[in-house]
Amino acid sequence: MNVILEAQNVSKHYGSYRALQEVNLRIHEDEMIAIVGPNGAGKTTLVNVLTGLLKPTHGDVMFRGASIAGVGPVKLAKLGMSRAFQLVHIFPELTVFEAIASAVVSQQGRNFDFWSRVKSIGAVRERVEEVATIFGLQDRLEWLASYLSQGEKKLLDIATAFALNPQVILLDEPTSGISSSDKRGLMDTLMEAARKAGIKTLLLVEHDMDLIAEYSTRIVALTEGRVLADMPPKEFFANPDLAAAIVGKPPTHAEA
Amino acid sequence: MTRSRFLLAALLLILIAIPFVVPAYYVTLILPALAYGVILLGFNLLFGYTGLMSFGHALFVALGAYSVAYATGRYGMRSMEGAIGLAVLVSLVVGIPVGMLCVRYVRIFFGMLTLAFGMLFHSFLFKFYDLTGGDSGIPITRPFLLGMEFPDLDKTAYLVGPFYFYSLGILLILGFVMWRIVHSPFGLHLRAIRDNPRKAEYVGARVYLFRLAAYVISAIYGAIGGALLSIPVGLADPELAYWTHSGNLVFMTILGGFGNFFGPILGAFVFVGLQSELQSLTQYWRFALGVILILIVICLPRGLMGLVYKRGKPLDAHDAGRLNGESKV
Amino acid sequence: MLFLVAGGLQLVFGVQKIVNLACGSFYALGAYVGVTVMTFALAKGVPEYYVLPLLLVSGLALGIVGPFVERILRFIYNREEGFQLLLTFALLLLSQDIYRFIWGATPKTLGNLSLAYGQTMIGPTSIPTYKVLVIIASIVIALALGWLLQKSSFGRIVRATAENRGMGEALGINSAKITVVVFTLGTILGTVGGALVVPTAAASLDMMVELVVEAFAVVVIGGLGSMRGALIGALVVGLVRSLAVFFYAELEILSIYLIVITVLIFRPTGLFGKPIE
Repeated sequence: MNVILEAQNVSKHYGSYRALQEVNLRIHEDEMIAIVGPNGAGKTTLVNVLTGLLKPTHGDVMFRGASIAGVGPVKLAKLGMSRAFQLVHIFPELTVFEAIASAVVSQQGRNFDFWSRVKSIGAVRERVEEVATIFGLQDRLEWLASYLSQGEKKLLDIATAFALNPQVILLDEPTSGISSSDKRGLMDTLMEAARKAGIKTLLLVEHDMDLIAEYSTRIVALTEGRVLADMPPKEFFANPDLAAAIVGKPPTHAEA
Repeated sequence: MTRSRFLLAALLLILIAIPFVVPAYYVTLILPALAYGVILLGFNLLFGYTGLMSFGHALFVALGAYSVAYATGRYGMRSMEGAIGLAVLVSLVVGIPVGMLCVRYVRIFFGMLTLAFGMLFHSFLFKFYDLTGGDSGIPITRPFLLGMEFPDLDKTAYLVGPFYFYSLGILLILGFVMWRIVHSPFGLHLRAIRDNPRKAEYVGARVYLFRLAAYVISAIYGAIGGALLSIPVGLADPELAYWTHSGNLVFMTILGGFGNFFGPILGAFVFVGLQSELQSLTQYWRFALGVILILIVICLPRGLMGLVYKRGKPLDAHDAGRLNGESKV
Repeated sequence: MLFLVAGGLQLVFGVQKIVNLACGSFYALGAYVGVTVMTFALAKGVPEYYVLPLLLVSGLALGIVGPFVERILRFIYNREEGFQLLLTFALLLLSQDIYRFIWGATPKTLGNLSLAYGQTMIGPTSIPTYKVLVIIASIVIALALGWLLQKSSFGRIVRATAENRGMGEALGINSAKITVVVFTLGTILGTVGGALVVPTAAASLDMMVELVVEAFAVVVIGGLGSMRGALIGALVVGLVRSLAVFFYAELEILSIYLIVITVLIFRPTGLFGKPIE
């Protein structure tokens, strides 16, 4: 398998505070990586570095062999990586269609089109409907995003990330704020969407250990900025100390 | 959709018919409304669609007016198209660097910077007497429209006749162009940037660049509108750049409803009409206008168009019919 | 002088998170009323050296406008910043027209009243004593404000409300009352500032917008929420302005606006908040 994303000896310091210390990570295609760890372990920082938002103090981040340290979101989208956030980010005054379209339009390279009517571009419309259907939002296309339920907003957020047709997608606690009974449903939708969209690699920051056990191919555990463990779920859960170290006390579903 | 198309067509017909049925005085009143309509189309791209509130937009209106004055007065260019061309050029030359600086900031910073630039230009116009005619301004000679001179028409007939239709034509053309811009992928990204700049970046919108583009486009519209505005007056004077003039632009946009395509144009017409009515009613008219503005900001944030749409959804009449689901789940 | 108003702006903005452009209105109001009062007083035969206290008092008295304006602004506390900006901008526009209506478009001056206290020698130059007195007064007020905010219990409450209104209310603080008081304080700073400035400068319609732009520059240089910063900012702005006038006399009116623009070119990230979201 090819290495698609790699962190080489990444450290991130904020003054004397070491958020990340010598993190080495190799991510291959077709992997579903779960990044876990207690709050403050550096998960979000790692994600920010991996997605080119933050420049590492030391070390480098490579996407398909090219350095992406600090490139920023726009470039990132072009390169083929996409990200959804823990807190729902939507465009309140855009409809569902428009929100997804804004991503599709970029992905289709139509950014500088000043003239065509977005809704009339067949290619755009098809793709938007496709993505919306995968996420179950096809009946909501004309709704203003601010009128969606919280769960739907989350779906929309993730959907726009998927609409960019990335090769790698990073999801920051996608199931936070979703009721436990719906979590599996969401995960199934995500996996299905990824498959349909041809997304090769998923990175997930998650707290729900059960979900991780079921869906991921590899677990990367962080504590205090260091990689504590990096192994398939079977091995990970076979070791009770590991699980305890990550979760601390009995599993909570506390969001960050 | 057809209903609003019909409405638009009807309005258009009315506008076309007006010079033939209405007394000249009222027709000359509509002229500034048409000019402001053009200016506001551009202004609203910046304000309503990109979320940047400029308090110094009158800068470009003044630039347009002075360009026309220079063209017709000092360079002896009689063609309106040439004058407008010069106005566009000037607005680009000024708008791009100013935009590049201002667009780095948002909200109050943007507002204050644009205010500063507007007033800077105003002071400049005042101070540099030789260049700008100081506070007397520069007179404008009646230009040829599409190459035609109309020597037989006196000023009023010219204004009420050919010039009226010329302005209307420009408003329509520029309106159409703006419509396409707003509905294009670029326009979509602008709105995304307005709603959530951070997320907009994640969907691939180049925030700075697009904001700059919106600024420059609005500058061009402002200058063209300024050109149209100044011809009936026959003079380009510094007060065009004063901050209260920028304030009026903001007022008109809020009055009509921002983020809505036709709102500002409606606002322009209402404002012009309101102003002239109030002027004849009382000497306290300025005060009345001010109070109205405050009331609108407090009570009617979506402007007059907000009254038309129940939830004040900022879409165009074109899409209003498709609003088939509203629920707060 | 500028400092007084900048201080006011800080106070209001820092506490309510409201961007109050109307501070310009208050400043101009102070100036115009100051002129009117002094002219009236002089006509009645009041001796010249009453100028400072008279202006001070009239400025303070004008603070009464504060609560009224605050009531109006109260309607939009919960709206987004954009609306607050708009409303205060509307107030600015409104007051521009009102003042023009009451006092006319020509600037009003108090002639040579700045010399009412004679001159003082400072180094090689002589400055009207009046100005010296005002500077001293400003510093005193600044210190007093600083002490008030940092050391007194009132100040603590104010700062707490600024940080987190809801929390403050939960703790039993009547945030509405605090807001009114703070706002009025800010208003007074504005009106007094305007009143005190008239012997040395004319009261004109342009004052309002000049002040807003200048105060903005001060806030950008000095940082928001810091009295010390406001002081530094005001000094810098004042200095640059004098220098500009010294070198290029014609630049006088332009200088204010040029300053803001230059400040922002060279201090792109500002010293606070997120100017670039």
